[in-house]
Amino acid sequence: MPRIRQAAVLAALALPLLAVGASADTVHVGVTLSATGPAASLGQPEQKTVALLPTQIAGQKVEYNVLDDGGDSTRGVANMRKLVDDGQVDVVIGSSITPVSMALIGVAAEKKVPLLTMSASARLIAPMDPQRQWVFKLPQNDSLMADAIVEHMARHGVKTLAFIGFNDAYGDSWLAETTRAAAARGVQLGSVERYSRTDTSVTGQVLKVLAEKPDAVLIAGSGTPAALPQKALKERGYKGHVYQTHGAANNDFLRVGGKDVEGTILPVGPIVVAAQLPDSNPVKKVALEYVHRYEAANGAGSVSAFGAHAWDSGLMLEAAIPVALKAGRPGTPEFRAALRDALEGLTNLTLSHGITTMTADDHNGFDQRARVMITIQNGAWKLLP
Amino acid sequence: MTWRALWPLAALLLCLGLPWLPGLPSFWVTLGNYIGISSIVAIGLVVLTGVGGITSFGQASFLGFGAYTTAILTVQTGMSPWLTLPAALAVSAVAALLIGAITLRLSGHYLAVGTLAWSVSLYYTFANLDLFGRNDGISGIPPLSLEGLRLIDGRMYFSVIWIGVLLAALATANLLDSRAGRAIRALRGGAQAAASFGVNTPRARTLAFVHAAVLAAFAGWLYAHMQRSVNPTPFGLNAGIEYLLMAVVGGAAHIPGALLGAGLVTVVNNLLQDLLPKLIGTQGNFETIVFGAILVLTLQASPEGIWPHIARVRPRPHRVRPDAAPLAARVMPPRGAPLLSVRGLNRTFGGLVAVNDLCFTLTAGEIAGLIGPNGAGKTTTFNLLTGVDQPGGGSVEFLGHSLVGLRAPAIARLGIARSFQHVRLVPSMSVIENVVIGAHLRGRAGPLRGVLRLDRAEEAQLYAEAARQLVRVGLAAQADRPATSLALGQQRVVEIARALCLDPVLLLLDEPAAGLRHNEKAELAALLRRLRGEGVTILLVEHDMDFVMNLADRLVVMDFGTMLAEGTPETVRRDPAVIEAYLGSVA
Amino acid sequence: MDPTIIAILVQDGVVNGAIYALLALSLVLVFAVTRVIFIPQGEFVAYGALTYAALDAGQMPGSVWLLCGLGAAACAASLRAEWRRLSPRRLARLLAGTLALPAAVLLATRELAPLQPGVLVQALLALLIVTPMAPYLYRVAFRPLAQASVLVLLIAAVGVHLAMGGLGLVFFGPEGSRATGFSEDSLELGPLIVPGQSLWIVGLTVALMLGLYGFFEFTLYGKALRATAVNRLGARLVGIGTAQSGEIAFSLAGVIGALSGILIVPLTTVYYDTGFIIGLKGFTAAIIGGMASYPGAALAALGVGVLESFSSFWASAFKEVIVFTAIIPVLLWRSLRGGVVEDEE
Repeated sequence: MPRIRQAAVLAALALPLLAVGASADTVHVGVTLSATGPAASLGQPEQKTVALLPTQIAGQKVEYNVLDDGGDSTRGVANMRKLVDDGQVDVVIGSSITPVSMALIGVAAEKKVPLLTMSASARLIAPMDPQRQWVFKLPQNDSLMADAIVEHMARHGVKTLAFIGFNDAYGDSWLAETTRAAAARGVQLGSVERYSRTDTSVTGQVLKVLAEKPDAVLIAGSGTPAALPQKALKERGYKGHVYQTHGAANNDFLRVGGKDVEGTILPVGPIVVAAQLPDSNPVKKVALEYVHRYEAANGAGSVSAFGAHAWDSGLMLEAAIPVALKAGRPGTPEFRAALRDALEGLTNLTLSHGITTMTADDHNGFDQRARVMITIQNGAWKLLP
Repeated sequence: MTWRALWPLAALLLCLGLPWLPGLPSFWVTLGNYIGISSIVAIGLVVLTGVGGITSFGQASFLGFGAYTTAILTVQTGMSPWLTLPAALAVSAVAALLIGAITLRLSGHYLAVGTLAWSVSLYYTFANLDLFGRNDGISGIPPLSLEGLRLIDGRMYFSVIWIGVLLAALATANLLDSRAGRAIRALRGGAQAAASFGVNTPRARTLAFVHAAVLAAFAGWLYAHMQRSVNPTPFGLNAGIEYLLMAVVGGAAHIPGALLGAGLVTVVNNLLQDLLPKLIGTQGNFETIVFGAILVLTLQASPEGIWPHIARVRPRPHRVRPDAAPLAARVMPPRGAPLLSVRGLNRTFGGLVAVNDLCFTLTAGEIAGLIGPNGAGKTTTFNLLTGVDQPGGGSVEFLGHSLVGLRAPAIARLGIARSFQHVRLVPSMSVIENVVIGAHLRGRAGPLRGVLRLDRAEEAQLYAEAARQLVRVGLAAQADRPATSLALGQQRVVEIARALCLDPVLLLLDEPAAGLRHNEKAELAALLRRLRGEGVTILLVEHDMDFVMNLADRLVVMDFGTMLAEGTPETVRRDPAVIEAYLGSVA
Repeated sequence: MDPTIIAILVQDGVVNGAIYALLALSLVLVFAVTRVIFIPQGEFVAYGALTYAALDAGQMPGSVWLLCGLGAAACAASLRAEWRRLSPRRLARLLAGTLALPAAVLLATRELAPLQPGVLVQALLALLIVTPMAPYLYRVAFRPLAQASVLVLLIAAVGVHLAMGGLGLVFFGPEGSRATGFSEDSLELGPLIVPGQSLWIVGLTVALMLGLYGFFEFTLYGKALRATAVNRLGARLVGIGTAQSGEIAFSLAGVIGALSGILIVPLTTVYYDTGFIIGLKGFTAAIIGGMASYPGAALAALGVGVLESFSSFWASAFKEVIVFTAIIPVLLWRSLRGGVVEDEE
């Protein structure tokens, strides 16, 4: 018996030997995202979107290798090393949340592989340095969104503001951006409260906020958990404006929020209200195509802004790979370097979230056209003029 | 040179050469790096949990102390990573001392929850303080460099990590094989028993805790310079649970088990990541589900962990050097001198009076028997005399020292040794290793001398003493057998040998003859008589009346916590009160 | 901080504490009988809540398939463990309990789910779907480890927790859900608005505690459980099987977990992984209560709930830091008061 067990252990250890190598004329795209764990509500739509990405670009086969990092930076880095070392990928898409993506920057620079991150924080691409040269960020900067919110507040006579945000990197980033934007526009930021995604009660935080009677409350959370403080505010009779961030923009938020989130104002990428955009907006066509493709595969109403970032990464690759192919064959360092250069050279590329123009200093490239203000009316997103 | 002496050298060559093996996929090297870092944490858990019996969910926090210390120092002050290593270890050791001072007083499950509690607290502390870079953490940590060579390549870093694993394993093996490590191992036989031989059990627990914390911090330092960015997630509760899981799966009581556990968990996770999408499709996320199921099945197949399952772990035979210089021996008090005097001793548990106004004396060089029906308070009396329990009132004088208020180790130091009614040997240790615990107070080497192997001369002396005591009690042939493989009666004799290692003035034996066969009893009686001849005073609790009547010079009879009678066996045998207590009311 | 705020915070803390108390009770029970520190308790909360929410939305909950799978696995495990001693009657009982029951629940769910038959039927159905998983898990995962150390049982519990957490994500998705409550009314007590659901929670918690008390004091099974908790060998000598009492303990844990979930999901959003941290706090309360005393655990749970409520008012970012740091002195006090305790198992 012990011999058989030993043999089994040895066999198990030897299995990775069989892992396949990479072939030459295929572009290999590695993906690491948080399909499980605390950020699964971001990672899962991204994962489902990767399945829809083009498998043929400029006559080259494109293969995607998707790994789950569970929102853990250690696993994220291990995934990226595996993708690069084992899978010989030419580009990596990932990850879903900032702390994991932060840890990937070093690997991208070390291995000289472009990284298209689906995390939000501006710290991922600024200040630009030799390491961050390899990183391109798909979601809009939080600063772009925060400016829009605070501007809206200023226009609507909001003088005092309270903040209730996730006790994580997303909340941190929003708190920093809101503090900056509010100071710039003379909105006074009062109490700052934090909560965790899985908290069952935010009564304490809400009471603290209510005691100050702020004109508006900004809730910085993502997906359904963003609804909890808002429902608690409603329950306790809060009558002021409630703002949410673009993290809240999926249909599950509407489902869970119900009547209590009517009238919420939030900035989002245009994809969320694609059908309501004027036909003159070039984003409309691109965004609607994604919505149709995604909902055809996953059911009506399933689309979210998070998955669209993954879609946009596909669009960027579709634009950049043909350029990069002139410099070398896939699988070579020359190709990867050329791909990085091509990504940096993208100008006026229409994505589902906006129109991007990359420069050496700006690896996000979005401008005002990448955000719209929306509200919730009769249980649906409504574009504000 | 034997294999024992050569293996570190061979392992060192492997550390340096293995990653450069032609054809080795470079991701294997990366996996190896992760395994190495986890191994170091798990080796710490071997000492803490597997050997010391302290379950900790919080090792990942100490990883965090190490990683954050070097991250903050190198990024903000530009210090060299090599210089931050001592700082990282020191910060973690101090944190462990502070946390340990509060939590290690906790016992059993309280302690496990204590570790869980500060693990959660520390996670949110890391995540909410600007110093630690909040949730985003700290990035841009410099890599290690040697003579200007930056160790960014996984292959080079592999050597660094695995030399680290080697050092951690050696240090831990040395520690466990030293006087201080034996104190930690002795905790498994029961903290009371360890304390009765002078082991300062809180200190032994703290040592285990700090050792594990320092190893975790070392792993954290390696992690920070490999990952080159840190954030709170890898140092949270889930990570802490995962390290514990690795140690238990591999076999928590064994150093190779730690390596095996870390390796298997990492490799299995990686395999699942590769294989499951091929089997079930790429859209599902079934890795944790399958991993959980494999974990349960593995434990069912080998509850002690995998290492003991494949390696048939046995205590290692111990080579005794009989030429080692004998230990200094105590001067026995002259025969007939007053030795112990107990006056008005009291102990109540709730409403139950266990010992009530007990008075008796012992003189040097006699064998006295403490007898009485079940529940008469005999074992309680032993516990009061040895500092395991404290009396509610009364006085105990031993050679001019008052014993009241002294703790067990202090009393052992005065020369009182004992055996236990329920045998308390450490199951994982051999007979001689158990016996040498008794000589704890006769050595002085601290943990550092143990780790650095500077304690060999003293260790040889201690083992020679233990071997002598085993010869004395007639168990020399059993020295290298696992202690619990002996018959129960023999285990009692092992306890006597252990007690003798203390070089005691007074020997307290709790039912030494229980479970012995007839001829074994005769041998035991002969041994005790011999000891008396050598000047040792003996007080024994015994139920076997023939045995005790023939052996004891004097008997003290207890009933309901009080002394019923005292005198030679002859007088006691005829005492009407004794007869009534034993046979019940005849009237 | 005025009296109104204090009153609201206390009310909030008591409601949360009541849930922690239920979980603490069940953790104490499972540990006392089987020595398993039942980490997956939290998953039962999430499963109960999300199964109920799915039924409330007229959907077929995925957990019902897990019930069938676990039933079959439990059947196989029991056959393997008992096949020598299996009389036809016991075999029939085994098959009914592990195969027929899940099949019946599956059919009932399939028929009833689209009809949205009202909160009480939905709650009962959710209980029926989730509760039997616990004794099945006992048979599959823990019974073969009955002789193992507490540490090994703990790690096995971690394994079950990982698997159930992963399955929860598959069945219920990453986003949370809420559901209709037992009562939409609320009671106004001066400045306090007490939602009817909160009263349900506190009321059912008290009722359940009294029920458990009655169960342990007056029924044969209850006494058997207590006997096993005190002395495994002794219980077996008087004819009470440890396997049987383990199964009862797990069943009670399953009911309590699922019911807790059903009770909170109308008040808050529940996610597939909500249960872990709730279970952790219940566990903490159980330990503060001494892992043996039921009233002690319940009281400690209320304390944890109220402390949590106040610290989320004072310093919400450091809420968990405050809650988990504050329990260490309590643990210390308990541990010191407990006197000499030997650490062996």
